[in-house]
Amino acid sequence: MDLVRHLRYFVVVAEELHFGNAAIRLGMAQPPLSQRIKRLETELGTRLFDRSARQVRLTEAGRLLLGEAREIVARVDRLKELARTGEGTVLKVGVPPDLAAAVIAELVAAFREDNPEVRLAPVELWTAEQVAALADGTIDAGLVRHPITAAGLGFGPALVQVPGVLLAEQDPLARFREVHLADLAGRDLLMPPEDGLLAETLAECRRRGFVPAQLHHGVGLGLVLAGAAVSFGAPAQVPGLAWRPLLGSPLAWRVSTAWRAETPMIAQFAAAAVRTLKGRAGMSDEGSAPARRVSGRPGFLS
Amino acid sequence: MAGVDGWLHAVDLDSGAQVGHGPDTPVVTASIFKVPLLVELARQADAGVLDWAEQVTVTDADRVFGPTGVSAFLDDATLSLRDLALLMIALSDNTAADLLLARVGADRVNAMLDGFGFTGTRVVSGAAGLFQSTVEDVGRAWPVVDPEEVARLRVLDPAQTNRSTPRECTGLLELIWTDRAASPERSAWMRTVLGRQVWPHRLASGFPYDDVGVSGKTGTLPTVRNEIGVVEYPDGGRYAVAVFTRAHSTAYNQPRADAVIGTAARMAVDHLRG
Repeated sequence: MDLVRHLRYFVVVAEELHFGNAAIRLGMAQPPLSQRIKRLETELGTRLFDRSARQVRLTEAGRLLLGEAREIVARVDRLKELARTGEGTVLKVGVPPDLAAAVIAELVAAFREDNPEVRLAPVELWTAEQVAALADGTIDAGLVRHPITAAGLGFGPALVQVPGVLLAEQDPLARFREVHLADLAGRDLLMPPEDGLLAETLAECRRRGFVPAQLHHGVGLGLVLAGAAVSFGAPAQVPGLAWRPLLGSPLAWRVSTAWRAETPMIAQFAAAAVRTLKGRAGMSDEGSAPARRVSGRPGFLS
Repeated sequence: MAGVDGWLHAVDLDSGAQVGHGPDTPVVTASIFKVPLLVELARQADAGVLDWAEQVTVTDADRVFGPTGVSAFLDDATLSLRDLALLMIALSDNTAADLLLARVGADRVNAMLDGFGFTGTRVVSGAAGLFQSTVEDVGRAWPVVDPEEVARLRVLDPAQTNRSTPRECTGLLELIWTDRAASPERSAWMRTVLGRQVWPHRLASGFPYDDVGVSGKTGTLPTVRNEIGVVEYPDGGRYAVAVFTRAHSTAYNQPRADAVIGTAARMAVDHLRG
């Protein structure tokens, strides 16, 4: 006999305590259900239900076996579910919410190429959220922005993204093919909520002559589209917006993979991430940044 | 808006790409004649014709009209030929320029220009000659703001005074920046001297960034505002730019007319970088 299927009938009848209702739930007629419960009782060598007068009740043995039967049915269900989806080998990874959808898709595909049996489940989280999620095990690995302070995390090689500026199309600076940070003086700045990156970026902006009139946190480009703020980021083709490189490439945003305990699977994810970010997101190996030159004019004490 | 007519040439020193607006138009150089003079001084020092460290005493008899450098000194001063050249370029010191021109020789400067094929560029007079010409034309050297008087000035006619074209000026700068104007050592010295120019209101105003270098030499006469120079970008891009303007107004103080030189140069460089 199919013991698991019979146990499933037992569980349903035990929940309904009514053969008619249980048969409806199971999508079968009542007589075969009654027969199968009897066969199960014969198989187990004990009576499971007390069918007195108008009531159906669990026997003491039935009550005892119900928990186990439920457990077996649930585990078999889970087994089938796992077999179907390849679960059991899921790698949960955090990715920055402002990473382009195409890059995320590419990353998932690149990882699957090397690990067809593992499912990569990306979760959109900012760096600070990823640090917490890595700590409590909600994610296995992450893609974080630097600088970052988090004890106990391991990091892959840092990749550098050189962001340009996103402006409203009608911004006078859009006339030029490139924009200097100092040209942005007086404008509002929209930045993603990445604390370390934000502090580093603002310091560089100040050094180069751009002190934002106001800082906005977020990734929605509505403010930029409205001409109320500018934003930094990868080259983007957005109707109504102009992307321009920053003269002298003053900003270098660093990204790396991160983990709490490195496993071979995480190492493969890190390798796929490096490959994808270099190939699709225009990032490059962290090199020695060119020394910043300051021209002699207008001169010292002149 | 700036109220000027202008002629421009800009060239990318590494790719050779160029852009111009009337780049071969004969223009009045005004003080920009001091750049070919600087080049010939360096070449004569290279050739051993003169010793650029030779000390010269500047006395009242040498003094030429001018607001800067030894032109403005009250007492005698003794300094080397190359330091006079520094004052001539960095401060546009007219007295220093005329002392050097007397030493180097205008004919030798023009022969050097011929040698490089810059036949549209001529040095026919020093600063004192320009003032003398102005005095002859209108009875005084400064101030000249009456439009009818300005119209009579021979120093504003390229055919009758120190002249060049925007393209020949960027060509001369290119030689200096590629060590071909003189020996590498003295070409480097010329670049340093041109980098010491103090005026921020013209070419440099178009590049108001700490990490962009602007070297250059201005030229100014009534209604004439010029500057030629080299702009150096943080990514290594180098652009020689020459901008010559004539203002519609005869007023001496026209900040917008000065600034448009920087704006035009920025647009040209932006175009070359695109």
